[in-house]
Amino acid sequence: MPQQPVQQRILKYTITALIVIGSIWSASGLEITLEKILKAPEQIAILVGAMFPLDLSSEAIERILPKVAESLFIAWAGTVIGAVFSFPISFLAANNVAVNYLSETTKQILNGIRAFPELILAFVFLPITGLGALTGTLAIGIHSIGTLGKLSSEVIEGIDEGPLEAIKSSGGSKINELLFGVVPQVMPTITSYWLYRFEINLRASAVLGVVGAGGVGAELINQLRFRDFPRAGTVLVATVVLVLTVDTISAAIRRRIIKGRSIKV
Amino acid sequence: MIKFENVGVVYPGGVKALDNINLEINEGDFVIIVGLSGAGKSTLLRSINNLVKPTDGDVFVDGKNVTNASKKELKQIRSDIGMIFQTFNLVNRSNVLKNVLTGRLSQVSTIRSITGLWPKEDKQIAFESLERVEILEKAYVRGSNLSGGQQQRVGIARALAQKPTVMLADEPVASLDPVTSRVVMSYLKKINQELGITTIVNLHFLDLAKEFGTRLIGLREGNLVYDGSVDDVSDADFENIYGRSIKSSDLIGEDD
Amino acid sequence: MINLPKKPPPSLMVFAGIPTAVLFSYYCFFKVGFNLTDFKENLENRYLVTDPLFNPKWSWAIENASEALVETIQIAILASVVGCFVALPLSFYASQTTNQNKISYFLYKSFLNLVRTIPDLFWAMMFTVAVGLGPFAGVLALVMFSLAIMGKLLSETIDSIDPGPLEAAKSSGASHNQSVFTSALPQVLPNFTAYFLYIFELCIRASVILGLVGAGGVGRIIETQRIFLRFDRISPIIVLILLVVILIEQFSVWLRRRIL
Repeated sequence: MPQQPVQQRILKYTITALIVIGSIWSASGLEITLEKILKAPEQIAILVGAMFPLDLSSEAIERILPKVAESLFIAWAGTVIGAVFSFPISFLAANNVAVNYLSETTKQILNGIRAFPELILAFVFLPITGLGALTGTLAIGIHSIGTLGKLSSEVIEGIDEGPLEAIKSSGGSKINELLFGVVPQVMPTITSYWLYRFEINLRASAVLGVVGAGGVGAELINQLRFRDFPRAGTVLVATVVLVLTVDTISAAIRRRIIKGRSIKV
Repeated sequence: MIKFENVGVVYPGGVKALDNINLEINEGDFVIIVGLSGAGKSTLLRSINNLVKPTDGDVFVDGKNVTNASKKELKQIRSDIGMIFQTFNLVNRSNVLKNVLTGRLSQVSTIRSITGLWPKEDKQIAFESLERVEILEKAYVRGSNLSGGQQQRVGIARALAQKPTVMLADEPVASLDPVTSRVVMSYLKKINQELGITTIVNLHFLDLAKEFGTRLIGLREGNLVYDGSVDDVSDADFENIYGRSIKSSDLIGEDD
Repeated sequence: MINLPKKPPPSLMVFAGIPTAVLFSYYCFFKVGFNLTDFKENLENRYLVTDPLFNPKWSWAIENASEALVETIQIAILASVVGCFVALPLSFYASQTTNQNKISYFLYKSFLNLVRTIPDLFWAMMFTVAVGLGPFAGVLALVMFSLAIMGKLLSETIDSIDPGPLEAAKSSGASHNQSVFTSALPQVLPNFTAYFLYIFELCIRASVILGLVGAGGVGRIIETQRIFLRFDRISPIIVLILLVVILIEQFSVWLRRRIL
């Protein structure tokens, strides 16, 4: 009976062993005992129980709703910054549009920006732009330039070069090639990436409040610290509702963008 | 009209695609080029508008040296040469009209083209070109929603919109069925006869070549091995061009 | 005169959507307090950050942060392994290809969606309250994080697999679980591995931050140093983490080439 080539099997076993050993090493290093694991569900249940009934007093809503809205504004503004700046940069990073050394350098710069989580970027901006929503927006914006830049450049690199040749053969300039050959091909995918980024940025902006960069995060951590669990629950539910709504609308728009409008004649 | 003087093309890597081609094509000719894949048909065609730059010799179009033209001159020359492709090369997400208008790009300022405020005359030219290939009613349909034959007609319209003096067709019907292929070829022939556009077509279907061509050029391994009227060509000539006997895959046949 | 075809009406999405988006953007920038003059003024303060930032104190970092760095990586390993492997069966229940029961499919899919909506740091905050401060809370938080991402990616992959082998297995009399195990699972294993490596990398980045809320890892150190603007101590820590991330990225690229 033929068996999997030996090399492949050894690879599989090594990987499985690595995973198992790695996990055991981690668990013991973190002092995670079976006792702790077994106690956890009960503890979680107690916490969840303490959150209900939710605090839906007008006082709570007055405090929480503006913060939730703020997270939305930060996420949107940050995504706009990311989209606007990453678009031209992505052309510079695409090896079929820009010269090789230029595209390589740009890609490395983008990788560098991407490497820093939004929170770390927020840290860096806090002493400069102070507490508040602007810091969060900048942190999210700059990180988004990195990720969107990389993704967009990959889309550009994946286009069909045929239409570009057609434009060139008719006497069109390089700019014509870009505008009429590249852009129409990449816009649907790139726009959907922008929207997807918005969904992710919304979660990031909720979190940034923890360090004072605007949004619901600060509310949640305060309520938890003061043991005001019903109010914390309200913050959580409000966040979940916002994220779900945005996710659903954004997913619908993205589907429509990719599919496009069909006109029957 | 089109003149090849000792044209040779060697690709990086040493492959010799064209070897010492000397050829003259007259205004209004309908020329069909046949040969095996790799014989140099595509290279020959592309050296006319300098998409491929010959390593030896010069190509002249309407008296102008294409091979050594400056960037500006080249754009001017290219705007007079229309080209259609085997894979149609339409922008799939854009509608037919937008695709045809890209043929006018060399004549329209960048700003106007971006904003979509194409001058009325250019739009008129686009509509007329579409009318000539009888596909005007699909003007606002997206490229990807058309059949292969329809897409190629849009390609022809796009080339026509340039108001060209030369039309190059690189295997225009290779991906189409026999009936559609004949439709496309007859449009090309009609345009050649009605507008006097010098037309050069690469084909690998020999029966189609005989059916539509007036002048036949045969390439084999980069060399010109046949140049004459379609009426004079015999099966033996084809075998010489191909270097082997004719197979059924060399004929497009009829639709059953 | 030729008969021009009728031009279709402009798409609602473009016509109404784009202006709305632009106006909304202006509104958002206004609400977050974006003000070019203020911003220029603020930038003058940048030396507070850039001076120490580009002056990394490696010895301090290695001495004081090594333990916490190891802790960060351990959290990431444990959380991604547990989260991904738990997500594996869940994903099959969250895909219509392998779960024909509409109600159960809806429940599993909604569960995964719900878990996805809560940011990782929120999970961390709640777990620190439930099970106490420390890395255990961090692991639990990232388990939810990994579960959510793997669940979404894998269930979408399962949605698009070839249902043929699955049908074949069922028609030969195999039970539902048997058919899934033999005919659906192998189809998605390469994707699972790729996603796992991706999520592992994400977990490393995410676990750096957990310490901010007391859930273990270097985050605690970063937070305390940040308050005193000791970016000279923070930058080496970040660089070390980035090195680990790059190493893992290279390893996963190498591994993917070997497996696929």
